[in-house]
Amino acid sequence: MTGYILKRIVSAIPVLLGISIIVFLIMAMIPGDPATAILGSYATPENVAKLNSDLGLDKPLVQRYFIWLGNMLQGDFGRSFSLNREVLEEVQDRFGATLVLAGTAFVLCSLLGVAAGVVSASRQYGLADKLITFVVLLGISIPSFFIGMMMILIFAVNLRWFPVSGMWPIYGARDFSALISHLTLPALALTVVATGVIARLSRSAMLEVLRQDFIRTARAKGVSEHGVIWRHALRAAMVSIIPILGIQAGFVLSGAVYIEIVFQWPGIGRMLVDAILKRDILLVQGGVVFVAACYVLFNIAVDVAQSLLDPRIKA
Amino acid sequence: MRLFEITRRTLLATTAAATLVLGSGAAMAQTPPGVLIVGQIAEPKALDPAAVTAVNDFRILMNVYDGLVSYKDGTLEVEPALATDWSISEDGTEYTFNLREGVSFHDGSDFNADSVVFNFERMLNEDHAYHNTGPFPLSFFFSAVQKVEKLDAHTVKFSLNAPYAPFLSNLAYPTGLIVSPDAVQQHGVDFGRNPSGTGAFKFAEWRSNEAVVVEKNADYWGGAPELDAVVFRPITDASTRTAEMLAGGIDLMVEVPPVALSEFQGNTFTVHEQAGPHVWFLILNTKEGPFADKRVRQAANYAINKEAIVNDVLEGTAEVAAGPTPPAFAWAYNDDLTPYPYSPEKAKELLAEAGAEGAELTFYVTEGGSGMLDPITMGTAIQADLNAVGFKVNIETYEWNTFLGKVNPGLEGKADMAEMAWMTNDPDTLPFLALRTEAWPDKGGFNSGYYSNPKVDDLLETARASTDQSERAKLYQEMQTIVQEDAPWVFVANWKQNAVASDRVEGFSLQPSFFLLLDDVKKN
Repeated sequence: MTGYILKRIVSAIPVLLGISIIVFLIMAMIPGDPATAILGSYATPENVAKLNSDLGLDKPLVQRYFIWLGNMLQGDFGRSFSLNREVLEEVQDRFGATLVLAGTAFVLCSLLGVAAGVVSASRQYGLADKLITFVVLLGISIPSFFIGMMMILIFAVNLRWFPVSGMWPIYGARDFSALISHLTLPALALTVVATGVIARLSRSAMLEVLRQDFIRTARAKGVSEHGVIWRHALRAAMVSIIPILGIQAGFVLSGAVYIEIVFQWPGIGRMLVDAILKRDILLVQGGVVFVAACYVLFNIAVDVAQSLLDPRIKA
Repeated sequence: MRLFEITRRTLLATTAAATLVLGSGAAMAQTPPGVLIVGQIAEPKALDPAAVTAVNDFRILMNVYDGLVSYKDGTLEVEPALATDWSISEDGTEYTFNLREGVSFHDGSDFNADSVVFNFERMLNEDHAYHNTGPFPLSFFFSAVQKVEKLDAHTVKFSLNAPYAPFLSNLAYPTGLIVSPDAVQQHGVDFGRNPSGTGAFKFAEWRSNEAVVVEKNADYWGGAPELDAVVFRPITDASTRTAEMLAGGIDLMVEVPPVALSEFQGNTFTVHEQAGPHVWFLILNTKEGPFADKRVRQAANYAINKEAIVNDVLEGTAEVAAGPTPPAFAWAYNDDLTPYPYSPEKAKELLAEAGAEGAELTFYVTEGGSGMLDPITMGTAIQADLNAVGFKVNIETYEWNTFLGKVNPGLEGKADMAEMAWMTNDPDTLPFLALRTEAWPDKGGFNSGYYSNPKVDDLLETARASTDQSERAKLYQEMQTIVQEDAPWVFVANWKQNAVASDRVEGFSLQPSFFLLLDDVKKN
């Protein structure tokens, strides 16, 4: 198992290198440079050239890439010019906030989605199945940012149950209950869409398992229906559900961008959008590489979990 | 049946959890008295006045720092601040300032002539030990400064390489605010996150992406402010900012989107409006194509229904512009100018005269950008008006930075017209940078439409060299008349900055400079 994990980690290196090259090239190719973004209306060719050289952007592309890569390997992601702060510090702060939001949403949508899928499958074409299918389709069809805005309007502006935006209160204790009250709306908005997909796919995974012989055997042995579904069928279905969850984790992470903007959540999605608009090259590059690395690691973890669950998948 | 028991149990648990959460949320705290919470449009870049360029950042800085001079309340004319008075040499190249005594920075160090010299050396002298705390993108505001000398502890002299009339108003601009040399030496490149000035509020805390907090400076030389603290919250999404204001999460909100203004009718809120030094215009390519003919340029000015744009598209948040200079520069504005009236007939006549009917135009439109208001909708309305009189307008839309990269190097060979907006601090700046022959893009200026009129060049050069305000005013007024007639631009709108304050806020008013000054504001 250790060998397998090591092998997977080694094979992730070219992926990350590739990502670093792609994001570097994209940032170099998109029109508009950081100096123009900083200077705005004052961006004369002369001012732009001077500022670009102050920012170290006048060196050849290849040289700039290797300087960046070399520094990054030593843990130095550079300094963000739009925030005047170390990139790594900013990225860690922001990624932490995103993890809280996306993590909560991921746990919620996994539990709700799998439960809905199981219930749906076990009562195929029944009332519960139809109801769940309807709600799930509705959830998939409405864009999450719209759900977010509606939630703000109803629960924050009209009912005033929750704060409109932010992660912490501006005044008062930064305790768990303060966090929960700020987290509820964005996490729910983010959960809605992802739950639908998980529910749909869990339902079909369950249906497939429920048709298999060992289920009939279990029923013939007199195992209770509850036991058949939750203990026998679900465990077998998890083998195909877990990779879905792995994919959905990426979906939740990228969906968080919209939610972070609507709810002003200080997460990494909002950071990247701002950084791209300001052409904050180092911040975009550092942020993307950091997120990509986390995503790759997460996928390795999912694969490992899967191979532990199903001995047929060879480590 | 057991399945349903499980779900029922889950339902119960969910309900219980929700109740718990609601319980904690129901007691949404009111914002405390004496603490003003301001909804800003973005996270500031830094709190170092020499390093930033955005109005958003200026709104904080103006409360933490002072300049040698500042704008008089409600005007764009300078008055003493850290300098008590000054004299200007006959030839307009030497400015000597007497500095206020007994002023100290928030970090406890003294403000004196050495501080002033340090500030300008840091920005302008590449060999200065702390020049590396930049870059200083707007340092060219002071590119005329050749030398800054300390004459005695409270007197400094600036020597300019040529007379430069906007110098004083540039000193009142945020780029000229004075920072504490001690703090720069202590924090180096991190000074922007550990600011120290002499202003009415001192920096307390910067929680990344949440808030910048400043507190009352009880020892402020201009008298301690009323507020105990101000919290600047970055809320980039305009709908979310509006929702926060409606929900009572912030007390003051800047840059209210026009469509949201109707939400703030009634007694709970006060809507503030203030015209500022902003002009929104279309650059016309006077070098080639249909707009090389003055009659066609005038036709475009007649053809566009500017009233409809400011009233319907911008919901009354702007006024129709008459010429290149915004009326907010009251002393330099030519009150005799009236905007080109909306007259499609007159436009058609002029087009027929010029033989330019059916001319095809390429029109650069941006998606957003500083001061650009609602550029896509405005661009579409303009396109419709121009098509109605017989032009054939093709819009090309670009993201702001890309757009600037296309427009600033000049429109030649690419486009006939482009949207543009400027906010400046002196009536000299925009025409000097964008209307002179010497300001064509190949010479490093912003005259992207290649307008050239020797008389205008002459007026602007003379005005810049003069230090007498009434003489400058006359020159600018004449320039405005000529430029309006020549129509190198379509003059569209002057934006009115707006803000909404809750009924707990007293004594607040917006400034024509677009800065946010909070030292006289109270909150109950």
